[in-house]
Amino acid sequence: MASSLGGVAAPAEGRSGDARVGRIRISLWIVVALGVVLPLLAAPALTENLSFSFYLMLWIILCTSFNLVAGFTGYMPFGYVAFYGVGAYATGVLHKTYGLPMPGALVCAALAGAAVSLLLAPTLRLKGVYFGIVSLALAVIFRLVVSMLPEDITGGSMGLILARANDPQTTYYVTVAVLAACLAAAGWLAFSRTGVALRAVRDDADAAAIVGIDVTRTRLKAWVLAATFPAVVGGLEAWYTNAIDPEASFNILVTAKVIVYSMAGGLGTLLGPVLGAGALYGIDHLIWQKFPVLNLMFLGIIIMVMILVFPRGLVGSFAQRFPLLRRYIP
Amino acid sequence: MTADLLLQGLINGLILGLIYSLIGLSLNIIFGVLRVVNFAHGEFIILGAYAAYFLQRLLGLSPFLAMPVIFVMFALIGWALYFVLVKRLARSDDPETASLLVMFGLSITLGALMLFFFEADARSLDYMLEPPFLMFGNIVIPTTRLVALAITLVITGITAWFLYRTFPGKALRAVIMNRSAVATVGIDVEKLSAMTFGIGLGFAGVTGVLLAMIFPAFSPFAGADYTLIGFIIIVLGGLGHPIGALVGGLLFGVTEQVTVVLADNSVALLVGFALMIAVIFFRPSGLFGRQQLR
Amino acid sequence: MLRVTDLTKTFGGLKALGGVSLHIPEKRVLGLLGMNGSGKTTLLNCINGLYEPSSGDIQLQGTSLLGLPTHKIAARGVGRTFQVPKLFPRMTLLENLAAPFTTGDASDAEVYERSAEWLNRVELYRLRHNYAEELSGGQQKLVELARMMVAQPKLVLLDEPFAGVNPSLALLIIRLIEAMPERDGCSVLLVSHDLTSVYQLSHNIVVLHEGRVLAEGGAAEIRSNPDVIEAYLGA
Repeated sequence: MASSLGGVAAPAEGRSGDARVGRIRISLWIVVALGVVLPLLAAPALTENLSFSFYLMLWIILCTSFNLVAGFTGYMPFGYVAFYGVGAYATGVLHKTYGLPMPGALVCAALAGAAVSLLLAPTLRLKGVYFGIVSLALAVIFRLVVSMLPEDITGGSMGLILARANDPQTTYYVTVAVLAACLAAAGWLAFSRTGVALRAVRDDADAAAIVGIDVTRTRLKAWVLAATFPAVVGGLEAWYTNAIDPEASFNILVTAKVIVYSMAGGLGTLLGPVLGAGALYGIDHLIWQKFPVLNLMFLGIIIMVMILVFPRGLVGSFAQRFPLLRRYIP
Repeated sequence: MTADLLLQGLINGLILGLIYSLIGLSLNIIFGVLRVVNFAHGEFIILGAYAAYFLQRLLGLSPFLAMPVIFVMFALIGWALYFVLVKRLARSDDPETASLLVMFGLSITLGALMLFFFEADARSLDYMLEPPFLMFGNIVIPTTRLVALAITLVITGITAWFLYRTFPGKALRAVIMNRSAVATVGIDVEKLSAMTFGIGLGFAGVTGVLLAMIFPAFSPFAGADYTLIGFIIIVLGGLGHPIGALVGGLLFGVTEQVTVVLADNSVALLVGFALMIAVIFFRPSGLFGRQQLR
Repeated sequence: MLRVTDLTKTFGGLKALGGVSLHIPEKRVLGLLGMNGSGKTTLLNCINGLYEPSSGDIQLQGTSLLGLPTHKIAARGVGRTFQVPKLFPRMTLLENLAAPFTTGDASDAEVYERSAEWLNRVELYRLRHNYAEELSGGQQKLVELARMMVAQPKLVLLDEPFAGVNPSLALLIIRLIEAMPERDGCSVLLVSHDLTSVYQLSHNIVVLHEGRVLAEGGAAEIRSNPDVIEAYLGA
């Protein structure tokens, strides 16, 4: 070991080893992303029942983007479903009421999600419990406002039927593309310097400012990105099921499931939410078919057990158990 | 005529507000002492209503007599839940957010259980008071609301006496102000915390009976609404501040009822939320609290 | 380098700083002494923008820092450590040291070289993949020092760098501070209770008492100043 004031360059083998660590981590993420996207792309050729794979993609996208705000910046938005609902309604209203073609409506949904996130950006000044409560309240406000809008635009509390748009095959492939984009965006964010800045802000906002990080702008980047994808997903779901209504589009259970899936996998890692969504959506799907009401109960119990017993999730617990492998986990 | 309607709204608001403030009071005692935001509060309130319903159906107990029974029942449940759930939270990285999540899980679980056992139909308590309405000039007030108001005042009085005149009450307020100092002067914080959670849930149960008396019907779905009302009230009055809840409750009750006169129910809730968000941004410690954003 | 003019800061009715003026020339160490509550940390918080001063001025190389947000002040070359180190606990040491570069245009290789160099200087290179939360308190202080220095600041504010550090680590920290003016080319504002090391390291010393400058001068002057003796021993 060099003395503190003498030779100070990094040992060559340390340097090349550390560069390799970074490369391995990125490659692993690419492998995981391809491993998720390619089978889903092939699914229509293999099976008639696309519903399961469609919703699987939906949850992976929701959890991955939720992780950008909850895992990388440390906020817990209980009203996350608001972005999803806004996207569903933007798509539904623009398509049905104003006759915009579906692709255009989806792009507008993404823009609407981003716009709403900018509108709500001031809430990022709030901390902890206050942020959670306000976020939840905002989701309820959105639902109330949407159901109070004129019926000839949004269909009121009955919602809208988009029968004309019915094209599950196309919807499916568009969703695969959105999934790929989401995984790529999350990877870009996590491996870029913005990713380091984000986690610094999450760990200690004052310290982050001290080292020159613009805390507000850094948070905003993640926040907007984390709001855009659920808005698109809301639109995709509206397109797929051909129906929207305020209760379903702003259902707090969407937030609940997103939280459970991503926490189970492990917030703060890229791998965690994907793994959590894949595993738990599968289980959820099986239970849901047999006992719809008990399913809710299990969801609640899983949240409690999760937080009390292993709050860092599958991937987080693995990393704690094997600290030497930790540096390779994307 | 409009003036009469507004006056009616104002009086309704004051009465309901005081009853609502019970929700805020118990939420605030729990948050103040335990730093736990009880997301499942609304579900316990609805459970209280169901308890009164079944005590009446099965044992013929009137809702008034059921209240003390329910208080004790829920206090015991709270005591037990403290050891099962709340105590473990202290060990997590970020206890406040973790508490929010755990209680969120509990709220979903309880909601599902109620749906499973009691089904989705609305129920109502079966009792009558004579006369059903009292008239004061042009103002009509249902007798049940006045009775509920009286009960609320009694409960608030007892709570104030407990908090300011008895030893455990004073200890409890001391914990709200400075948790670490209290442990060093020899108060058993754990026992006090368990008691607090018990009292908090006991209040929630009784509040449920009162709300079931003044509103025509209740169902498993209403829990979330009461939780939100509770959140609005404690944010208005100041998180963790028992007296603030009273003011927050009155403020929300009046706002809600006056808006109902001028517009309708959903607008009333919207205005309530707007009020809450305005307070959070302009006076984050609440109207009466001293506690800052964190 | 840094000139503070007649700075005041009040919290509610409480006057934490009552008109403090001081000056740090280029590549000099200014020691700041004072009892608990004398306003030392408040002064540091004002300089790097965590607090907004009530009146007065703070100038770095002739331009005022007033009204700038903390991250912009950092970008002007002001570094800071805290009495209780404020690291990023769930990031590795390498990531902690990379955080200051998230806004600049240094290449990845350059960031790595500079981080590695500083981890070597604080003798923690072998722990570079550990999370900051896994280190001891003294090691965390070293990492914080390295994270500050890796950005090549012009002025550093050190808040109690020796508090809670064992003697051998304290020696390393003293050697690092000693090297700061010449080797690293930065000015230092050193806040500490530890009289011996302040006397040893500082070119000039300011004593704060109840939010005001009580005395100013070289180590020998301060040591024999009757007001200082009175404030430290009499109170």
